[in-house]
Amino acid sequence: MALPPTIPTSFVPHAASSSARRFRTDFTGAYGFFAYAIFAIVFALALGVFFYGRILASSKAAKDAALASAQANIDPATVENFVRLHNRLNSGGSLLAGHTAFSGLFSALESLLPVSVRFTSLHLSRSDTGVSKIEGAGVARNFNALAAASNAFSVDERIKDAIFSNISVNDDGSVSFALSATLDPKLIAFTLAASAADTSATPPPAPLP
Amino acid sequence: MSDRVLPLVALLVAVGIFFVYVNPTWSGPIAATKEEIALNDQALKAADQFAAQQNALAAARNAIDPANLARLSTLLPDSVDNVVLILDLNALAARSGFSLANIDVISNTAGGAGVSAPQGQGLPAAGTNPVGSIDLSLSAVGTYAAMQAFLTGVERSARLLDVRDIVVRGSDTGVYNYQMVLRLYWLR
Repeated sequence: MALPPTIPTSFVPHAASSSARRFRTDFTGAYGFFAYAIFAIVFALALGVFFYGRILASSKAAKDAALASAQANIDPATVENFVRLHNRLNSGGSLLAGHTAFSGLFSALESLLPVSVRFTSLHLSRSDTGVSKIEGAGVARNFNALAAASNAFSVDERIKDAIFSNISVNDDGSVSFALSATLDPKLIAFTLAASAADTSATPPPAPLP
Repeated sequence: MSDRVLPLVALLVAVGIFFVYVNPTWSGPIAATKEEIALNDQALKAADQFAAQQNALAAARNAIDPANLARLSTLLPDSVDNVVLILDLNALAARSGFSLANIDVISNTAGGAGVSAPQGQGLPAAGTNPVGSIDLSLSAVGTYAAMQAFLTGVERSARLLDVRDIVVRGSDTGVYNYQMVLRLYWLR
């Protein structure tokens, strides 16, 4: 015989807060799990940091030893020798590139000047900026000889800005003059003069040791 | 009761461990050690490069003829040594038939020898000139041919000598008076 639904199936009364107690139990369990999980993670982190620090300290000690060994292998004298050789090579090259040879100018003057023109004084100079000048005083047999010298200088591109001044006629008909000019660096460059000297018939005197 | 207290204690201990040990240790000693290790790594790498460069340079130097190295040292010596140079100039003048009358040091251009220091190559005292120079003044008497021979010898000298100034005063006898200024160099 079926019971009507209005009749209770049990005479034991239900607890009034059974759902609230279930919620509280779940919350407590989750809270505990969360707390213990955080604790475990932090504990693992602490262990990791501890051992990582030990590993790093060991690695640093090994690298310190390797670095000390590498430093001990560096010989300051060898380094100094290399530096000096480097400086000597570089500086020697630079100095040789600017090395002057005025003998090339004397050879050029011999070929340019007519035999009827001679210098009584001559001043060749090279400044620290690399500008080379020739200044001198001389005597020409006559105006034509002086004009020939002037023409030779004007044609030659290695002697620039040649200015003849203080021109005066002497009692014997000769002409005194002063000359100033700048020199093309190629005219007094050592390399050209050296090659010219190498091909000349007369060898130069023995160089300095 | 214990269900609530123990998790709270664990949480508080975890927070304490993190802020008292983990975080300070990570950002303090461990970070400093890592930085030092990185510097050591850089230094070790530089040391390796140095060793390789040194070996390469040694090989390059050994490939140079020792006689040429000796000539290079003569070209640009380690010291001024102007007294020996004056003796050599006297010998050269004697060989050339040139009579030297007076030799003197007239200036000291220690700061400028016309050579710039190597740039950007990590050499010591970068920016300073490694070459020193002084000027020698000399006066002499001789023929034009003797002067030419002497001048050529100076220009081709094994020790680098630059003629900076020449004054020639003529005469009717064919023997001239000369004044020269020579610049000599050395490696500091």
